[in-house]
Amino acid sequence: MKRWSAFAWYWQRISGLLLVIFTIGHYVTVHWTEASGHEFNSSVARLSNPLWQFWYLGFVVLGLWHGVQGAYNILRDFKLPRAVLLGAVVVLIGAALYFAYLGFDTVLTVHEWKHRP
Amino acid sequence: MVYEQARKPLKTWLQTLLHYRWHPGSLAYVLHRISGIALLGYLFVHIWTLRGLVQGQVAYDEKMQLFATPLFKVAEWLLFAFVLFHALNGVRIALLDLTQRGSRVHVALLRIVYAIGAIAMVGMGVLIFFDPFGT
Repeated sequence: MKRWSAFAWYWQRISGLLLVIFTIGHYVTVHWTEASGHEFNSSVARLSNPLWQFWYLGFVVLGLWHGVQGAYNILRDFKLPRAVLLGAVVVLIGAALYFAYLGFDTVLTVHEWKHRP
Repeated sequence: MVYEQARKPLKTWLQTLLHYRWHPGSLAYVLHRISGIALLGYLFVHIWTLRGLVQGQVAYDEKMQLFATPLFKVAEWLLFAFVLFHALNGVRIALLDLTQRGSRVHVALLRIVYAIGAIAMVGMGVLIFFDPFGT
């Protein structure tokens, strides 16, 4: 438990630094102009490229992990009853798993839908 | 019983917050947590929006129409403020926790955070509202 907490503490900082790099890359490549970020064709083209797929799978995992762990760290600062903390953890991890699935499925299958109207 | 237990700490927390001794570091601490929760929520929304891609171009474009309105442009700019603060202050926290000198210069680092943040906010405002590259 103690070792896990120490790992989590370091990982929160390291994943945060990695996310800064990911976020800068994401803003510069995707949201430089409105068209590059919001148009269907450019988004699909990007997510059909294996390198970008790899990049975004990493982004999704890091973002959700860092975010959920951060929310857990906030919860831990309150003197919550055990059941409430446990319930909140279940909801947080459940949400993270669901959105990880959603993100992974989108990134990995979007090229199949390229020619759909 | 459980409800009583759960309610008390929140009330105490609010009382503590209202009597908080505010200084640059404590303000950054609170802002980091607020922006962090907001960004986690936004990450969920972002993944959900991109889900529209697999429903085809018509459905996706319809979904994205929402983000082209002036209100959402302002919202995107505010979102960038949250991202910016959380990222810059996050680097400050990493420097503070992982380096020897960090904690001695943390207020100076915070000034750098706000300075870079303000400049980047103006830059992003120009990109969002004036579209200098003509797209």
